[in-house]
Amino acid sequence: MPDYKPVSLALILLGLFGSSISILLGFIWVPGINPESVQQGSAESYRILFWHVSFAWCSFLAFLMLFVGSILWYLKNDEFGWRLFSTGSDMGLLFGFGVITSGPIWGSVAWGKPWDWGDLRLNSFALLTAVALFLVLSRKSQPDTNQTRDTLSIIGLFGFFLVPITAVATTLYNRRHPPIIIIEGEDTGLPDDWKMVLIFSFVSFGLMFIGISLLNDMVNQLESKTEKYQRVIDRGED
Amino acid sequence: MDEPCLLELEGLVVSRGTRSVLNDINFKLREGEVVALVGPNGSGKTTFIESCTGTIPFMKGSLSYYSNTNDKTVIRNKDGRNSNIPQIGLTLQNDGICGEETVEEKLLSVLNIDEEDKNTHLIDSILSDWGLYHRKSNRVSQLSGGLKRRLSVLSGLCPAIFSPQPIVILLDEPSEGLDDEACNILTNWIRTISSRGNGIIFTSHDRDLINCADRIIKLEENKPIIESLGKSSGTIVTMVESEAFTKQISAKSLVNWSIKMELRNPIDTISRLTPALVTLLVSFSLIGNINYETIDTQIISLLVLLPAFITCIISPALIDRFNEADCGKWWYINLGTKFRPISSFIGASLILPLPLTYLSWIILIGDKSELYSNDVVTWLWLPALCMLDLAIASSALHFLVSDLQRSRASSASLLLIFLVWPFLELSEALSSIMANGMSFSLELGSPLISCLFASLISSLVWLVAVFLPDA
Repeated sequence: MPDYKPVSLALILLGLFGSSISILLGFIWVPGINPESVQQGSAESYRILFWHVSFAWCSFLAFLMLFVGSILWYLKNDEFGWRLFSTGSDMGLLFGFGVITSGPIWGSVAWGKPWDWGDLRLNSFALLTAVALFLVLSRKSQPDTNQTRDTLSIIGLFGFFLVPITAVATTLYNRRHPPIIIIEGEDTGLPDDWKMVLIFSFVSFGLMFIGISLLNDMVNQLESKTEKYQRVIDRGED
Repeated sequence: MDEPCLLELEGLVVSRGTRSVLNDINFKLREGEVVALVGPNGSGKTTFIESCTGTIPFMKGSLSYYSNTNDKTVIRNKDGRNSNIPQIGLTLQNDGICGEETVEEKLLSVLNIDEEDKNTHLIDSILSDWGLYHRKSNRVSQLSGGLKRRLSVLSGLCPAIFSPQPIVILLDEPSEGLDDEACNILTNWIRTISSRGNGIIFTSHDRDLINCADRIIKLEENKPIIESLGKSSGTIVTMVESEAFTKQISAKSLVNWSIKMELRNPIDTISRLTPALVTLLVSFSLIGNINYETIDTQIISLLVLLPAFITCIISPALIDRFNEADCGKWWYINLGTKFRPISSFIGASLILPLPLTYLSWIILIGDKSELYSNDVVTWLWLPALCMLDLAIASSALHFLVSDLQRSRASSASLLLIFLVWPFLELSEALSSIMANGMSFSLELGSPLISCLFASLISSLVWLVAVFLPDA
């Protein structure tokens, strides 16, 4: 098993540094928004966007990893699929939690309230994070058998089914959540300096994502190796 | 041996995590044969028995059963389950009996016959043979561990007595917890039943019982199986003779069984009703003194539907019954792929949502109903009825989580948050009826479309939870 520890630690540190810089740039370089357009709270709170969007993009990558892993395990009982599943659920929880904690700060500014229960996109993201939390807790609490893996991969697939519903729901029920503002359109689009900081933030989060994923996968593999050695000791073999 | 084959395992590999428990097993069980599985703890004896039921996933290989015309049916292979197993006799290591059922009911379930059947007197006879007749009407929970084990072993053996053709009998540690007398009865019954052409596989550490086998298979982790001949010891005894009458356990048996259990101890109804009524009373106290004209109809509709929603998402008591001594596993093995869809229906709260929604409307709205459209009372049943889809989906999710070995250590409620969606849609439908009256328009946001959307989401959840695990 290759030792990813130095590389992953370097990536995590680089990512942490970059994400700190991005929020700093958000405060000192990117212009603020018109305070009159804010419904409630401080207009400065909008700058959480530079983390919120990166968290969201990375968590989509994590959920993608989780779903690919679920499908690979469900269809082929593929060990690599299970590794993807394990790392994807851990990363989905971490970054999903980042999204649903940073989102309400932005929501407070934009809508005057932190959460909108009527918005299906918001709720679906919270649900995806809840699924990830369920999977992480269950993976730790259940014996690692093929039946457990089968059941958990099926639950992982729930998220897979959530995504198209979310997409349809977002289109049909777009209420308070802002439209996708990163893509240029008649009513949307971002100033260049916003975009630059956002891309820088995403790259930093991306590095952190890769670093944590590698480290997580290594820990999971080491746990599995330890388990194998423990079984040898159980059998009284040398 | 040239006897026809009953069951065959070909190139079987079963893993637990990254560990192979059974490695390249090739095995045939023939008519009239008794096979003992032996080996140290953790060597895969129970996994071998479970593999023969087709309920656990295979990494490689296949399980096949043969009919009396020697037609081979592949039950499971590495790609999943292809078909359900034919009738078998089964004794699980943990008995597989719910404490709520009586001794007689257990045997009636196993044989799939009604209490009015003309053959029920034969059950008295076999109960007497096993020293259980005087306990016939007792609930299993009232039996001692030894008597309970006798019943469990008898339940595994008796389908073979009344089956029209030879069947497979699977017994996991049958002598565990039995006294010497019962062990002796067991040995003789095994020999007698096998003499009628039935094939028997059992696991055991009991030397005397192992001696009654024709063939002994020794399992050891990561080692090839070692086969040896057994002593085939034991006496053929006189057993009840009757025309074959038992039939394969059906979905109807499970439905009848669960209704009987619930009527005997209505724990499901009570555990659903209590929190719903508390919610209703809390909502009543909260909005009792508020001017209704100032409250958004969406909030009122949420509160009206909330008690019904709560009854729907509570974990079914059926799961607890199934978890008791692996009772659910016994039903699952016998019913195969039909088990999940049926359980999700009978485990769901199907009776309470409708009356609770009307009760909720009467208590929360009462004389203020003139503030809302007259259509509400006429059409309140629509969202309440759609709530049944949600109840079935919730039940299916609970059953999916209960598949986990330590299901109590899993937070199923995290998955149930998903059902908030259909609930919000139903409340929107009711809100629309309250504000604008019933509309048959098919526009987005109309009551019909909101109800349809809620049902679609619930159905999708149900489909995933019920069909993917056995696909």
